[in-house]
Amino acid sequence: MCGHCLELTRRSLLAGGGAAIAAFQTGVANARVRPADMVPLVGPGFKPTDKDEQGLWEEMDRVEEEIAGSNLLVDDPKLSGYLRELIGTVGGPAAKDFRIYLARIPDFNAMMFPTGFAVVFSGLLLRMRNEAQLAGVIAHESGHFLRRHMIRSWRDQRRKTDIFSIGAMLAGVGGAGAGVYLGDYVQLAQLGTILSLFKYSRDMESEADAMGAKLIAEAGYDPMEASNVWLQLIGEEKASAAYRGKHRQRGSLFDTHPSDDARMADLRADALELKVPGRIYDNHRARYLATLGSFRQTLLDDQVKLNDPGASEYLIETLAQDGWDGLLRFYEGEVWRLRNRKGDDIRAAQSYAAAVVYPDAPADAWRWHGITLLKAGRTGEAKAAFAKYLTMKPNAPDAAWVRQMIG
Amino acid sequence: MRKWGIVCALAASAALSACVQTKQYADPQFTLPQGSYKLLVLRPDVHVGSLTTGGMVEPRADWTEQARTNIIAALRAQQAALGGNLTIVERRNQLPGVAEQELADVERLNFAVDQSIVLHKYLGDYLPTKRGRGLDWTLGSDAVKLGEKTGYDYALFLHAEDSVASRGRVVLGVIGLAGCIVGFCAPNVGGAEQLDYASLVDLKTGEVVWFNVVDAASQVPGIKFGELRTPEGAAQMIERLIGRMKPGQAVRRAEAVR
Repeated sequence: MCGHCLELTRRSLLAGGGAAIAAFQTGVANARVRPADMVPLVGPGFKPTDKDEQGLWEEMDRVEEEIAGSNLLVDDPKLSGYLRELIGTVGGPAAKDFRIYLARIPDFNAMMFPTGFAVVFSGLLLRMRNEAQLAGVIAHESGHFLRRHMIRSWRDQRRKTDIFSIGAMLAGVGGAGAGVYLGDYVQLAQLGTILSLFKYSRDMESEADAMGAKLIAEAGYDPMEASNVWLQLIGEEKASAAYRGKHRQRGSLFDTHPSDDARMADLRADALELKVPGRIYDNHRARYLATLGSFRQTLLDDQVKLNDPGASEYLIETLAQDGWDGLLRFYEGEVWRLRNRKGDDIRAAQSYAAAVVYPDAPADAWRWHGITLLKAGRTGEAKAAFAKYLTMKPNAPDAAWVRQMIG
Repeated sequence: MRKWGIVCALAASAALSACVQTKQYADPQFTLPQGSYKLLVLRPDVHVGSLTTGGMVEPRADWTEQARTNIIAALRAQQAALGGNLTIVERRNQLPGVAEQELADVERLNFAVDQSIVLHKYLGDYLPTKRGRGLDWTLGSDAVKLGEKTGYDYALFLHAEDSVASRGRVVLGVIGLAGCIVGFCAPNVGGAEQLDYASLVDLKTGEVVWFNVVDAASQVPGIKFGELRTPEGAAQMIERLIGRMKPGQAVRRAEAVR
C-alpha cells in the first residue's frame, strides 16, 4: 500500500517537474513576433459588436470621463495637439479614432485603454531623445488597440479560468469517486494557468512592439529608435540600482511584459527587417524640442526631485549625447546639490558655472551660480550673477532678499 | 439514506450561508426628508455583469442599461410616494449653473468620503474618536455651495453592482452538488452577488447624514437574492437600500419618549 503511495508521489513529482520545465521554457524563450505578420485587426471607426466587448467598452465610458477631467493632466493645447497629431500619424487605420491624454507623472509609462484612448506620462516625454522615439512608444500603444489586445486577453483569461474551474471540480469529484487525492495536480494546474496568463500578456506586448515598429517605419521614422528607447531604459535602471547598491530586476515568469533586454533585442531585429536601404530617416529632434519648449524644464525639475540621483544623472547624460545646453548643465548641478555627498558641492558649482555659459541657461542657474560664487568668496562675480538672475526673473519669490544682498 | 441526509444538510447550510445583509448609519440628528424636498441624484453608478464559469464578472452593457432604467424608475416611484422632488443627473454637464469640473470635484470628494465611511464603519477599522456619534462625516463647503447654487436640499449618491451566474457557473455548482454523492461536496462555489450602497448628503450643511449598504450574495450559483435586470428586482433593491431609511439615533430616542 505504502509502496503504491510512494510510486504515485514520485510520478506526480516527475509530472510536476516536467510541467514546470515546460512552463519555464515557454516563459523564457519567447519567439520574436515578425512585424510583417502584424496586420491591424480593426478598421476606421471600429465599434464592438460582441456582447463581452460591448460590456468592456461601456465600463470604459466613465473611466475616460474621469481621466479627461483629471487635474493631473497637463493643460497645454500645443502639446496635446502635437500628441494627437503624432498618434494620427502612427495610429494605422484607427488614427482618427484615438484620444490621447498627457498626465504630469514623472515616470516612464504610457497606456492604451480598450476603447482607444491613451494616457502618456510626462516622464516619458523627458526620456525621449527625439520625436521618432516618442512615435515608437505611441505606435506600440496603438498596436494594442489595432490588434484588439484587451478583448483578446479578457477572452483568454475567461477561457483559461473556465477550463481550470471545471477541471478542478471534475478532479475533486472524480478523485473522490475513484478514491485518489488529486489536490496536488489541481494546485499544479492552477500554477500552470496563472503562468499561462502571464505568458499570454507578454505575447501581446511582443505583438504590440512588432506592430509599433512597423507603424513608425511606415510613417518614415527610423524603426531602430524604438529599440534605443529600451537601451536607454536598461541603462537608467542599471544606474538607478547601482546608486542604491542593488541589482536591476530582470524578467520573471510572473511578468506582464517581456524583459527590457528581450524587447530591445527583438526591436533591433525588427528594425533591421524594416529598414529600407538607401532611405534617409529623420528623427525630428528639433521639432520635438521646439514643441516641448519651456515644458522641458518642468520635466527635468520633476525628475531631479524624485531623489533618484543614479537615474537622474544617467538621464541627463543620455539627453546630453545630442549636445549639452544650459538647461541640462543646470539640472546636472541640481542632481549633485540635492545628492549632497562629499565633493558634490564642488561638482554642482562647476555645473552651474558651465550652465551659465549657454544662452539658454535658466534664471535659477544664475541664482545658484551666484550662491556658489558667494560661498567661494568671489563676491564681485556673485553680485554680477545675482544681477543677471534679477533681470531674468524680476518677480522671483526671493527677489527682494537678493536685491538687498547685492546692495 | 444517511448520505443523502448529509447532502441535504450541506445544501441547506450552503443556501443559508448566502443571504441579504444591510446596515445603515445616520447622523444622530438626522430626520427623514419630508414635505416637498428637492433631491438631486448624481450619476447613479450601475454595473451588471455575467459571472463566468471561472468566477470572473464579465460586464454586460445591455444588462447594465436595463438595470439603470429599472433602478431610476423604481427610485422615482419610491420618491414620488414620499413627495420628494427628484432630479437625476446622468452627465456632469447636465446641471444648469454648475460647471462640469465643479460637479466632478463634489463627486470625487464624495467618493473619497464614502470610501472612508466604508473603511471605518463597515470593514472593522473603527475610529475611537467617532464612537457613539453615528455618522460623522461631511463634504464641507463644496456641497453647501452646490446647494446654494442649485437650490437642492439633498444629494443622493447611488452605486449598484450585480452579477448573474452564467450557465457554466450553474453547471459548476451542479457538478459540485453531484459530487456530494461520492463525498466531494462543493455546491457553494459562489453565485450571483449584488452590492449596493447609497449616501445622502444634506446640501444645507454639507454633512453626510445617512449611509446604507446592501449585500445580497448567493453561495450557490442559480440561487438569486434579487436581480437588477428586472423591474421587480430593482424595486426590491431600492426598497432595501433607501425605502427602509431610518432617522438618527437622537431623533428616534426623542420620538420614543414622546
